[in-house]
Amino acid sequence: MATYADAKTPRPATIPSASAVAAALLLGLTAVPAAAGDVTVQLTTSARSEAVKWYARHLDCEPIETRAEAIDCGNAVIEFNQGPIMGASQGTGIDHIGFSFADLEEKMAELEAVGVRGSGVRLQRYDDGSTLREEPGLFKVGRIFDPWGTRIEVVEDLDTLGFHHVHLSASDPERTLGWYRETFGGVPESLRGVQDGLRFGEVWLFASEHPEGRPAPSAGRAIDHLAFEVADLDTAAVGLRDRGVRFTMDPERPAGGRSEAKRGFVSAPDNVRVAVIEPGWQGVDADFGSDADEVASAEPYVVPRTPWGTPDLQGMWSGNKAHGIPLERPEELADVEELTAEEAAARRERGTLGSIWGYEREWRDTTLGYVKSAPSRQVAMIIDPPDGRIPPLTEEALERQRNARQSFGDYVRRRPAGPEDLSAYVRCITRGVPGMMMPSIYNNGLQISQSPGFVAIQKEMIHETRVVPTDEREPLGPGIRQWLGDPQGRWDGDTLVVETTGFNGRTNYRGSSENMKLTERYTRLGPNRLEYQFTVEDPTVWTRPWTGRFEFELDNEQYELVEYACHEGNYGMTNILSGARARDREEAAAAAAETGSGAQ
Amino acid sequence: MPALVLPVQAQDAGDPVPRHYDGNPDINGVWQAINTAHWNLEDHNAAGGPAEYGTLTTMPPGQGVVVGGEIPYQGWAREQQQENFENRWREDPEAKCYLPGVPRATYMPFPFQILQGNTHIMIVYGFAEANRTVHMDKENPEPAPIDSWMGRSHGRWEGDTLVVEAAGFTGQAWFDRAGNFASDTLRVTERYTPTGPNTMTYEATLEDPNVFTRPWTIRMPLYRRLEDNVRVLEYKCVEFSEELLYGHLRRREDTPTGDDP
Repeated sequence: MATYADAKTPRPATIPSASAVAAALLLGLTAVPAAAGDVTVQLTTSARSEAVKWYARHLDCEPIETRAEAIDCGNAVIEFNQGPIMGASQGTGIDHIGFSFADLEEKMAELEAVGVRGSGVRLQRYDDGSTLREEPGLFKVGRIFDPWGTRIEVVEDLDTLGFHHVHLSASDPERTLGWYRETFGGVPESLRGVQDGLRFGEVWLFASEHPEGRPAPSAGRAIDHLAFEVADLDTAAVGLRDRGVRFTMDPERPAGGRSEAKRGFVSAPDNVRVAVIEPGWQGVDADFGSDADEVASAEPYVVPRTPWGTPDLQGMWSGNKAHGIPLERPEELADVEELTAEEAAARRERGTLGSIWGYEREWRDTTLGYVKSAPSRQVAMIIDPPDGRIPPLTEEALERQRNARQSFGDYVRRRPAGPEDLSAYVRCITRGVPGMMMPSIYNNGLQISQSPGFVAIQKEMIHETRVVPTDEREPLGPGIRQWLGDPQGRWDGDTLVVETTGFNGRTNYRGSSENMKLTERYTRLGPNRLEYQFTVEDPTVWTRPWTGRFEFELDNEQYELVEYACHEGNYGMTNILSGARARDREEAAAAAAETGSGAQ
Repeated sequence: MPALVLPVQAQDAGDPVPRHYDGNPDINGVWQAINTAHWNLEDHNAAGGPAEYGTLTTMPPGQGVVVGGEIPYQGWAREQQQENFENRWREDPEAKCYLPGVPRATYMPFPFQILQGNTHIMIVYGFAEANRTVHMDKENPEPAPIDSWMGRSHGRWEGDTLVVEAAGFTGQAWFDRAGNFASDTLRVTERYTPTGPNTMTYEATLEDPNVFTRPWTIRMPLYRRLEDNVRVLEYKCVEFSEELLYGHLRRREDTPTGDDP
C-alpha cells in the first residue's frame, strides 16, 4: 500500500539496502480469474530456517509443521528460497510487503528494542525521528526491513490483521493492476477511499509509480517472486497463453519438489517474476551446495609433491567454508557429531548477520563467491579436550584475569586517548597467531608458497606473511621477540608441522601470553581440502594444552589475494580518534556550562 | 642506516651460478642492496636532518644509480619532486609506514627473502610486511584486477636473467627519501641477473609517460646475506608512524578530557 501524501512512490535511494535477505518472497495468490482465495508469497533468503524464525518472532507468523522453509502469515504463506541475495526488494517491481497489527505503537516499541544487531530489525525512521506516523484517512504506518533486504510496511488496519498487502512499483500502475486482475482475478476495491487496489482473499495488491519509471527485475532480489495458485496448471496455462501471458518456465514438477504439485513462471509487467502453482504445493528442497571432496573416491588420496620432493601444499586456499564454526562446542550440541547441511547454513548465516549489518549483503554473496562453498558442518573447532571446551585456567591466569577484568571494564568505558588504546588489529599491526588464521566474513584467502627449505604462509587479512624454515635451524636469540613469534617447520609424513615460540606477548589468543607455544599441522586431505590443526600450549595460562581444527578449501580458479593495505587505508583510526576528541570537547563544554550556572 | 658488516666475498667469475631444480639460476635466499639509493636515486651530497638528533638523521652522500645520471622528468614533475623533497619528513610514505612499492622495496636498508618455487616466486621484504607474488606460470601478463601499492608482477626467465614486469600501482609510492616519484601509469621492468653465487645485478626500467620524457633505468648490485641463520625479521612499523599520522588526534594533557573520574 502506501501511497502517501509526501511519498507518492517508494524511494529506493533513500534507504541503504539492508544486508541481504536471503528470502525470496513467494506470494502465492489464488490465480483463478475472479476467484480470490488463499495467497502465497515467496521470499528468498540465504538461510531459510533463520528466516522462518525471524518472521515467527517479529511478525507473529506461524511455522508450518510439514515445511521447514515456509511460514504461515495468516492471509498469506511466505516461502523462503535458499541462495545468494542480489539486492534488497526496493527498486524492483515488488517494492515491499505489508503486515498489520492491532497495536502498532506497541509493536514498533518491541521492534525498536530488538535492535539491528544479529538477526535483528532495521527501522526506517521518518524525518522527525519517529518510527511511525498517522496516514490521513488511513491508519498508523511504520517501515522496517528484515535482515535480508525485504522492505516491510507495518500498519494498524484493524479490518485486516496479519499479512496485509503486497506493494508493487510499476512504470504504469494502472496497467499493472489491470494485468493482475485480468490474469489472476482479484477484486478491485478501494482501501478506505484513499488507495485503489485488488483484493486476493484478505490480501491487498497495490501498485505505485516507480520514481524513475524503470523498476528492476525482481528475480534474485530479496523478494524474488509472487505466486498465485490455480486448480490445474496445465489447463490454466492454455488460458494464460491465450491471453498473451508469456511463460519463462513451463509448468512442471520442479526438481526437489516436495509434492506432486506443478509450478511454472510467467513474466509480469516490469519484469516481475510470478509463479503459478497448483494446490498442494509444498515448496522445493534447498540446495545447500556440496562439499568439494564429498564424493568418496575408491583410490586413497595421494598428496602431490613439489619438484624437490616435499609434500606440495601450494595454492590459493579459502577459509570461507569454515566461517561460523565456533571455537568451543556449544553445550546443547554435546552429543552431536555434525550439523545437518541446513543447520550449518543457518549457523553461518547467524555469524554473518552478527557481523555485517554495516555491509552490503550483495557484496558478500556475489563478489566474494561466499555462498559458493557449502558451510562446514563441523560442530566446533576444539577437538581436544574431547568436550570441545577450552581447558580451565591456571591459578596464576585466574588471578591475572581478575585484575584484567577490572581494567578491561575500564578499557571499554574509556574513550581512546590515542591509537595505543585500541587493539593491534584495529591499529592494523597484526591479528596475531593463530588469530590471523581464523575465518572471517571476508578476505579469507590463504596463499601457501614453497621453495626448497621454506614455506611461506600468507594470510590475506592483513597481508602478513610468515616465512617458515623447514630445515632445522637455530632459534632466534632470546633478545628477539616478535609479534608473530619465531616459527620452525618440519615435515611429518605428508604434514607440515610448524612450532612457533618467541612471542612478544603484545597480542594474545584467548588470553595466551608470551610463553605460548603454538603447534600447527597443515595436511592435505583431498585435492581441495587442507586441514589446519592448531595446538595451544601455555602452562602459565591453561592447565593443559588444547587443540582445534578446521579446513581450508582450494580455490585456485576464482581466488587471488588482494593487497589488504590495512594501515594505508585505516580511515577508521582517524574517525575513531576524531570522534573521541569531539566527545571530549562536548563534555568539557557541558562541564564548563554547569560550573558557570552553579556559580550564579 | 644500520651498520652492515657483511662478509661479501669476492666475485669469482669462475664460480658457476647455482641452479634451481629446473635448470634456471637458483636465487633463493636473503638479499640486500648496499648503497644510498634509498636516500636518493640520483647523485647527492651529504645533508643534515632534524637538528635535535645531531648526525643520526643526516643524509649520507652517494653516487646515483640512474643509468645516464638524471631522471628524465617532465618539467612539472621535477618541481613536484623538489616539493616532495622539502616536505619529506612528513610526506614520505616510508615515514608513514606505508607499503614501499616497486622498485623501492628492493633497495631499502632492509634484507628481503626470495622464495623461488615452481609456479611463482614470492618476495618477502623486510619493510612493513611488504611482499610480492611474481607469477611465473602465466603465458601472458594479466592486467592487475585492482591497483595496489606493490602492483601485480609477472616473471619469466630470459637466459639466466629473471625478467619481472610489474604494473597496476596506486601511484602513491615514492622511489626514495628525496621524493622521486611516478604515477599510477608506472610500468616497471626488472631484471635480476646472477653474477655469482652471492651477487646479482638488479636493473629496473621505469616507464610512465605521464611523468617522464622517456623510459629510464636504475642499476645496482644485490648481495646475498651470508651470516649464519640470517632472517628477515619482523618490522611492523605501524606503531612508529602513529604519532606522525594521528598525533593531532591524541588527547593532550592540556586538553580537557571526558574520562570518567
